[in-house]
Amino acid sequence: MPGGVRTLDRMPSLLPLYGRAGLAAVPGTGLLGRLPLVPGPRGRELPPEGLSVAGVATDASALAAYCRACGLTLRNEIPATWPHVLSFPLQMALMSAGSFPFPLIGLVHLDNEIVQRRPVGLGERLDLEVRATGLRPHPKGRAFSLLVRARVGGEDVWEERGTILHRGAGDPGAEPEAGPDPPGDDVPDSAEWRLPGDLGRRYAAVSGDRNPIHLHPLAARALGFPRPIAHGMWTKARALAQLEGRIPSAFRVAVSFRRPVLLPGTVRFAASARGRDLAFAVRGSGRERPLHLAGELSPPA
Amino acid sequence: MAVPEPAYVLGSNRIPFARSNGPYAKASNQDLLTAALDGLIDRTGIAGERLGEVAGGAVLKHSRDFNLTRESLLGTRIAAETPAYDVGQACGTGLETAILVANKIALGQIESGIACGTDTTSDAPIAVNDDLREILLEANSARSTLDRVRALARFRPGQLAPEIPRNSEPRTGLSMGEHTAIMAREWGIPRRSQDELATASHRHLAAAYDSGFEDDLVTPYLGLERDQNLRPDSTVDSLGKLKPAFGGEDGTMTAGNSTPLSDGAASVLLGTAGWAEGHGLTPLARFVDAETAAVDHVTAREGLLMAPAYAVPRLLARHGIGLRDFDLYEIHEAFAAQVLCTLAAWEDPVFCRERLGLDEPLGSIDREKLNVRGGSLAAGHPFAATGGRIVGNLAKLLHERGGGRGLISVCAAGGQGVVAILEA
Repeated sequence: MPGGVRTLDRMPSLLPLYGRAGLAAVPGTGLLGRLPLVPGPRGRELPPEGLSVAGVATDASALAAYCRACGLTLRNEIPATWPHVLSFPLQMALMSAGSFPFPLIGLVHLDNEIVQRRPVGLGERLDLEVRATGLRPHPKGRAFSLLVRARVGGEDVWEERGTILHRGAGDPGAEPEAGPDPPGDDVPDSAEWRLPGDLGRRYAAVSGDRNPIHLHPLAARALGFPRPIAHGMWTKARALAQLEGRIPSAFRVAVSFRRPVLLPGTVRFAASARGRDLAFAVRGSGRERPLHLAGELSPPA
Repeated sequence: MAVPEPAYVLGSNRIPFARSNGPYAKASNQDLLTAALDGLIDRTGIAGERLGEVAGGAVLKHSRDFNLTRESLLGTRIAAETPAYDVGQACGTGLETAILVANKIALGQIESGIACGTDTTSDAPIAVNDDLREILLEANSARSTLDRVRALARFRPGQLAPEIPRNSEPRTGLSMGEHTAIMAREWGIPRRSQDELATASHRHLAAAYDSGFEDDLVTPYLGLERDQNLRPDSTVDSLGKLKPAFGGEDGTMTAGNSTPLSDGAASVLLGTAGWAEGHGLTPLARFVDAETAAVDHVTAREGLLMAPAYAVPRLLARHGIGLRDFDLYEIHEAFAAQVLCTLAAWEDPVFCRERLGLDEPLGSIDREKLNVRGGSLAAGHPFAATGGRIVGNLAKLLHERGGGRGLISVCAAGGQGVVAILEA
């Protein structure tokens, strides 16, 4: 990754970050800029500097709760989506900084690609690094990439690239982001997930991702959704749980979040082989089968 | 027509056993069993293989785990086309799964299979109180809202008291420890003998870990590398200080000479010699034969855990061999007193004549050959996992010594006993 990196002594605590993000979202708080602890004016560019924390350990109880919430088996190797959760406070710290060009609340996760270079043991300590890069025009606003990298003693073991959208004045001429193609419509659904209304709160508790659109109907409505929506990263983890036993030790898994999954709700899962890859999708259970998530599991690049 | 072929133990794997609410407190039975299978698959290189079957089980099971073994298998890299089923015979479950798989192999119905078991006393199923369960069932099946309200109106806060599984016999209400205390008194098993057996168990298992013997039997899980219950420094003196846990104030059974509630899982790969060769595996020991027995503990005609004392002579008679014709003995140490009562019974002319119908007592065994790499007192006893631990352990021991015969004896709740012979 290009650019410098600022190394923190320890993983930042999430609560103050939420306070900062929440305050920054309130219009007019710019006036408070002269007070201490209140963010200054927003920057125009993404921060050139990344954030990192060394030697991050996995707490087995926390992982067990995460696995339970996502339908994953608690094994000696951590799930491929777990370093995302481990690095989440760093991501928050980066994006809730006052100089970050966009307010955190309202950012939309468009797609997510994870590459696992090798299985990562539960006892291994990860050096995690987070960076925002590639600010670009998007038909519905502006997008950027959030990169996370996990290393063990200098060895690259895991990477993540998420595309984040700040909704606003879009550029109609901008190239739409290419994502994985779902399996064809002729591929029958192989599983049904009945999602409870409190799924967002459950996942928030195990992942630390307490974005209000996932938590409560009122909060979701205030942010433009009729009901709370499932976390995209829950849906991705749940899809990997569905594929458990068919996942090689090194792989790339890319998903695009096409349409929010409203809670409570019922969605269906389908998967089919496509050459060396495995295409999968999460669709609505109605006759229209609206596409919520399209994904692809493939050998690592 | 299938040709009968002997079944061999080809390898085994277990996770270290943890004490209840220890490192595996948040892991489910399915997590534990999957971990044991993961290690077995890695060790034996059977990823992607379609096996004849996987038989497994757990004694304490959630209702959602109705297909526990199959569901665990589906999370592993064994081919999804491998069938699986759950078995339940209390603490005999693990050994019974090995018998079932070995029998099918011996009949030529399958060429390979896995026998396994798991248990967690930390993530144990808790059921709602029976009264509340009835109300909920009735409300669920009610046809009108009024009926539903009527059903739910019968709810009383006291019904929230959950039904927690107890380690007690349904027909006697006595815990297994209390039953064994009765046996220990009947057979006059002294406290010191029990503590000596427990000390030997810890000493042998500690030595097994130190010498590397466990390296290809155990795969660490969730950071635990050795059985958590193992106390290498246990002595007869230190165990002698513990207060009686069963049998009243003058009881001889303590927390030190009884197995603790534990969490863990174990698995064993079995197959024909031909299948082993085709997969680059070495047959460790032949699964020769097995016998199960049961006693009437309900009317107190026999002690709850005495069934192995009946199963073994029947198995010996079938093979025309004596109790001393073994190089190794693996007797599950549910309680030190259970092992010692069994040994005492086989030495007792009256018991052997009147209860077993034998002219001569079976005799005594060379205690140097008993549980030579430790037993359940040291390792812990996650109920359905114990059989797999013992089969894997004994098969390796027999293979290492270049031949020999070993006896396995496991007592189980409900007055049952499961025993087997392995040979290399």
